[in-house]
Amino acid sequence: MAQLLEQFINGLVLGGIYALIAVGYTMVYGIIQLINFAHGEIFMFGAYLALMLITVFNIPFWIAVPTSMLLCAMLGMLIDLVAYRPLRDAPRLSALITAIGISLVLQNLARMIWSARPQQFPTETLPAFFVSEVNMQTGEVLNAIPLPGGGILPYRDVCILVLAVVLMIALNRLIHLTKIGKAMRACAQNRVASNLMGIKTNQVIAITFAIGSALGAVAGIMVGLSENITPTMGYYKGVAAFAAAVLGGIGNITGAMLGGIIIGLAEVLGAGYISGGYRLAIAYIIMIAVIVIRPSGLLGKSTATRA
Amino acid sequence: MRNWLTGLLIIGLVSIFGCEQQKELKVAVAAPYTGGAAAFGEMIRRGAELKQKEINEAGGINGMKLTLLFEDDAGKGSEASLVAERIASNPQIVAVVGHFNSSCSLAGQKIYDRAGIVELSPGSTAVNVCEGSPWTFRNLYRDDFQGKFIAQYIDNVLTDLESVAVFFDNDDYGRGLRNAFVSEAERIGLNLVASEAYERDSTNFKAQLTSIKSKNPDAIFISGLFQEAGLIVKQGREAGVTAQFFGADGVDSPDFLTIAGSAAEGVYLTTPFTFGAAGAEAKQMAANFEAFHGVAPDTWAALTYDAVGMIAEALEKTYNADAAIADNRTAIREHLASLDTPEEGYKGVTGLTYFDINGDTVNKPAYVKIVKDGQFVAAEKQLLELK
Repeated sequence: MAQLLEQFINGLVLGGIYALIAVGYTMVYGIIQLINFAHGEIFMFGAYLALMLITVFNIPFWIAVPTSMLLCAMLGMLIDLVAYRPLRDAPRLSALITAIGISLVLQNLARMIWSARPQQFPTETLPAFFVSEVNMQTGEVLNAIPLPGGGILPYRDVCILVLAVVLMIALNRLIHLTKIGKAMRACAQNRVASNLMGIKTNQVIAITFAIGSALGAVAGIMVGLSENITPTMGYYKGVAAFAAAVLGGIGNITGAMLGGIIIGLAEVLGAGYISGGYRLAIAYIIMIAVIVIRPSGLLGKSTATRA
Repeated sequence: MRNWLTGLLIIGLVSIFGCEQQKELKVAVAAPYTGGAAAFGEMIRRGAELKQKEINEAGGINGMKLTLLFEDDAGKGSEASLVAERIASNPQIVAVVGHFNSSCSLAGQKIYDRAGIVELSPGSTAVNVCEGSPWTFRNLYRDDFQGKFIAQYIDNVLTDLESVAVFFDNDDYGRGLRNAFVSEAERIGLNLVASEAYERDSTNFKAQLTSIKSKNPDAIFISGLFQEAGLIVKQGREAGVTAQFFGADGVDSPDFLTIAGSAAEGVYLTTPFTFGAAGAEAKQMAANFEAFHGVAPDTWAALTYDAVGMIAEALEKTYNADAAIADNRTAIREHLASLDTPEEGYKGVTGLTYFDINGDTVNKPAYVKIVKDGQFVAAEKQLLELK
């Protein structure tokens, strides 16, 4: 039972990260029906840029995070401007292939700049309460909340969870309460009509890319805190997050959040109780099962045009 | 005028290529130079380069220059097949040093076997690597020996560890080593409380670690490679795991230390070779290596250094410039196969190498290292003989 609680929290933390990435896929899909395969690479750049800001420019962690988000937002907008905007009216397949190309370019660019060697945030540059390590004599873990039954929850994971929830709520409010949110929803409904109504659709699309990329950057930094930062990290997490977006109903933001949590929980519980050798496979099986039963995903609208 | 020029050009080209074929002996060194195991490949390249430099500076092999071709298999079996096809179809390559990953050696084996070219691995330890082909050799121990060794070391030397868990990479290497460890643990009565798997290139191990932690083992044996092992140790200490971590040769890379950081302290691992327990020749090689490359050599650099040396020795004794390439490739195999007693074995920096009927190295010991103050050092107590 105690183990279940700890596994459940592990799953929620991972799910929160997937949800942050999945939102980026789904927002772009909702507005221009493009699966932005380069999104996983923006996530990876988020982690690398933060690492660079901290280690090369000696910027404190708390400032490096928003700076990296800002840089990734700009990168997302740049990709849209250079690669996707010229193809806005081209067949959808052209944009999709371009997206795959951009993804490869960014991945290899990262390999050239930072090499394929795995890197980590140096412990001493992180806020002190982010660093939890067990005391080998007493078995107590520093900077963590003890859970009933012997489990532990590091402060860092609490921060990740809280930040993910706050960002999700903020995004939800932005979409539903602000003018730009309304413009996004209008573009998603009908881009041509929105244009006729005086909405600057290209600008709205650019902002969509910026928001999705900034959230992806945060997720990249969160992952970098406990895992390796490598040029291929975006691929693995990106695929799982994409599965989450499809599971929730691609194009639907709440669906992406829900999908992220479900995939995260399925992966962790599957690895903890069934077999760790197939953790991604378990997530995919759930996704396929849902798609077979509900082709439009959990919360997606069943329209003929949505794949 | 034009004909005359063309004629001159042809004569020139023929003489250049003609000379080169006589002066140069090409050996392929196939290893993972990119991908997750690239840190191993880097050391393999450096070890091979040092031996090449020493051979060529001493006048080459019977006056012929040794040229190494570095072929990247990215640590993947599918890539290894492609690389093997390329090597086997190049009539200038006389032998292969490699591959590193067991799955790559096995994938390449089918092709080398068909083409009739020697594959001498300085890193593959999976049990069945050499059995499948008379053309495959290796100059280090097998995982059944290594798995058995680790179980006995925990049982006999680290006597206060009573229960163990295994956390293994779900591929040829990880599973083979785990099986050897588990069957020996059962035989000697070591209490095995958990066995969990992970996928290659995973980066998040919290789920399995939480599950292992709930079984309270005294030791956790990681049967996998350094990149995952580094994260397992790091995430394990973060999640409150106090068990003694134990790794095998796949963890033996300086990158393990950088990935795991301070959590690496006190981790034990086995290795086919360690400079800390080696003779004067190895110390000399380490000094030359450092002068040449600017970094200290590791186990894999030393084993590759010896593997290139063995191929060079075979070439020196058997190579016939007038014979067909297939005959020269066969002669290398015959020479390696003839090294079947301690007296005839190759004496390199990693010790004496001689082969059994399969091409497996016999009687090469395993060493135990421990991480102390962020460095690998030879463990205080070694286990020299298995029961």
